[in-house]
Amino acid sequence: MRRRRVDPAAGARAGTLPEAIAALSRSLPSGPSPEIFRRAKFDRPDATSALWQLLFRVLSPLPAGSALASIALDVQARLVKSALCSQGYPRLALAQLPEDGSQGSRELLLALSWLLARGPVPEQMLARTRVPLGDEMTVCQCEALASLGPPAPHVETEGPVDVRHVQWLMGKLRFRWRQLVSSQQEQCALLSKIHLYTHGCHSDQSLGHLSVTEAEMLRDPEGGQQVSGAGAAQNLDLAYPKGLHFCTPGMGPRTFWNDLWLVCEQPGLLPGDWAAPLDPGGASACSLLFPLRVLLRTLEQENRRLEAVLAWRRTELVFWRWMDTVLGTCAPEAPAAASQPTFLPWVPECGDGELELVVRELQTLEEELREAAERRRVAWEAKARGCGRGPEWSATRRASRETVEKELGALQRCWEQDSGPAQAHGPHRLVRREDGAAGDRDLRAAELIRTLRSQEACLEAMLRQLQGQCRQELARLAGAVPGLIWIPPPGR
Amino acid sequence: MLPADCSRRLVAELQGALDACAQRQLQLEQSLRVCRRLLQAWEPTGTWAWEPPPEPETNEEDPLPACIPSPQDLKELEFLTQALEKAVRVRRRITKAGERNKAPSLKSGSFVTSPGTTASTPPQPPGQAGGHASGTRPTKGLRQTTVPAKGRSERWLPSGQDRTRVGIGARAPRPGAGLRNQHMAPSAAPQAPEAFTLKEKGHLLRLPAAFRKAASQNLRLWVQLSSMQTSDSMDAAAAKTQFLQNMQTASGGSQPRFSAAEVEAEARRLRKACSLLRLRVRKELSAAPVDWMQEYRCLLTLEGLQAMVGQCLQRLQELRAAPRSCRPWRPSSCEWPCWTSRSTWKRCFWKRRWGCNRGLQR
Repeated sequence: MRRRRVDPAAGARAGTLPEAIAALSRSLPSGPSPEIFRRAKFDRPDATSALWQLLFRVLSPLPAGSALASIALDVQARLVKSALCSQGYPRLALAQLPEDGSQGSRELLLALSWLLARGPVPEQMLARTRVPLGDEMTVCQCEALASLGPPAPHVETEGPVDVRHVQWLMGKLRFRWRQLVSSQQEQCALLSKIHLYTHGCHSDQSLGHLSVTEAEMLRDPEGGQQVSGAGAAQNLDLAYPKGLHFCTPGMGPRTFWNDLWLVCEQPGLLPGDWAAPLDPGGASACSLLFPLRVLLRTLEQENRRLEAVLAWRRTELVFWRWMDTVLGTCAPEAPAAASQPTFLPWVPECGDGELELVVRELQTLEEELREAAERRRVAWEAKARGCGRGPEWSATRRASRETVEKELGALQRCWEQDSGPAQAHGPHRLVRREDGAAGDRDLRAAELIRTLRSQEACLEAMLRQLQGQCRQELARLAGAVPGLIWIPPPGR
Repeated sequence: MLPADCSRRLVAELQGALDACAQRQLQLEQSLRVCRRLLQAWEPTGTWAWEPPPEPETNEEDPLPACIPSPQDLKELEFLTQALEKAVRVRRRITKAGERNKAPSLKSGSFVTSPGTTASTPPQPPGQAGGHASGTRPTKGLRQTTVPAKGRSERWLPSGQDRTRVGIGARAPRPGAGLRNQHMAPSAAPQAPEAFTLKEKGHLLRLPAAFRKAASQNLRLWVQLSSMQTSDSMDAAAAKTQFLQNMQTASGGSQPRFSAAEVEAEARRLRKACSLLRLRVRKELSAAPVDWMQEYRCLLTLEGLQAMVGQCLQRLQELRAAPRSCRPWRPSSCEWPCWTSRSTWKRCFWKRRWGCNRGLQR
């Protein structure tokens, strides 16, 4: 670590600048050396490529691996620019930088600081590469949705599709669901046995029993045996253990879930900070298990990084003061005005289609409502004129108005608060323990299942309502055509 | 026949769900294999040669410097093991019949597998371990021997014996490592009971010390990090906001743009709003009010819903008018997926790769 002449005033505060930068570079994966930061302040070109690569590592949601390293620098640069842009990065100078890494290190330094100021970047990166030691399960649905892999290339149906094809696909899907359910039940039963048999032998009292990863490590410390015989022990994919966590709450024997707790593994990350990493099919790719030494090595690396993050948090104040000075040395930019950066190769199509749909639906709804409301209002006014006026009349009217307002308010809340009580994100470790010491972020499996079941009931009710409406609509349409007999399919 | 556009969407969604199921099934099966293997009798792993295993394997585990056992020691061990083996073979012949009748569920926690049910057989020497496979496992030469009258498998007990390093609870320590460890002197013969099952001996497993240390340190550091965050220094937070504001003003002072994530979240909320509103409207329109009060309420509801629909439409228009560059986009010239927002990047990428249009309306 380079020791510069330390300004006594700065030293009186928490830590010095070199310490802060050194901690930062240690806490980031393959972080650039502190020297790079210093050079970037003076906009030296030799610091540029390292910063592009670092930004790429930070912004790319894909797990680190050899695949990332093989991307060319200019491709990385382009992707970094677009990612920053989509996050709302304010400075336009970044978008104008050349992509060959020849200049612009100061801009990149500013971009990195912007990201660091917005969120706990080192912690998030640590969380991404974490080695799960326990039997993991995620509580929220984000990762499940994000883990949809690539669709197999199938023939794109250009023309209209026979409804029987759709029915066949639906049947196939139901069959696969049943298969999944039975596999998960078996998994729960096995997990339950493993937890039971190894009860009492974990060194950590709050855990109490071994997880599958730990037991497997004990069984086979060399890691020589493979599950599906897939090649040599070279590419130990850290993403593999994530595949070991496949339980869906509620599946399997009830006894499994009774005493089960979901222990929050990373109390350092607040729920909002969690960004479930995308893992397109990575977990199932590798089938090797952890030899003890690799696990140890990874754990120790993570410990070093954690210590670096702690040091960074203690000393980051100095860094921000420094960054303000760096920003000061840049010339202020002209306001963007109406000119959008045109050199970014963007094609605005994703998401547009869906929004269009929604807009159209809402517009149709609006039309319908306008018609119906007007009609009814006219009819009602006519009727109301006939009735008498009186204090109870206006009282009942006011009462009705209030009830309606309350109902509509509740309806609006349904979509305003989209996820209800702050649902914990990120993976949790399955731990079997009796009621006792529980961390404040730990969840009881039983309660979680209750919440999920009530959500399920709501969704099912909505589905039934929609189906009923569809049926009514179909009946109406069929009734409009004389001579047509409509036999609805048997309700399910 | 279904109309083209919605049928394409349907088929694409169904196909996507089918693929997701298949993938999940694969992962489940993999973990099932692992779990099943754990619950069976644990096989000995690796080679069990008498010569000391290669250095890298045991470097972390053994704090003592590697010392190669002398040929003398090796020979003595060989003799001893042969004698033990013979004893075992003799005993096994005697107890083979009894073994098979033994109830599979042995008392956990007791090494002594006392066949209470088989009175005919002579009392077992303690440590005739693991009845499950005893009849079936051939002794592989020098390598495995059943535990003789010792009855203890030191590697499992976290006892005062200072063998934490090698006491990993797996198969008996490699004889080489055992030789190295001087504490092993009293029981020179390598201990290798036949079949270790999780069911009987699972609770005696002990994680290796190095691992325990690293794991506890890991947990401690995470907890420290969390406590540090919750009691975060106000100064640092203030400095960060100041910096962000400075960045904003330095770049022309335009109001902060929406990030793609925010746009996406808002769009999702509005979609949900649309479906809920539609349901409610249908319900109201198909309801038949009986008396004037119900009619009045129905009317009010419809007017209220109309206002809400108007609001949602307005917000949607605002979203659509958002500056283009902050919306999810697709790189046209590079092969790598873009990741601007979680759900849309997949569509972009896979459309590029497979040329199919998952769920998009055209």
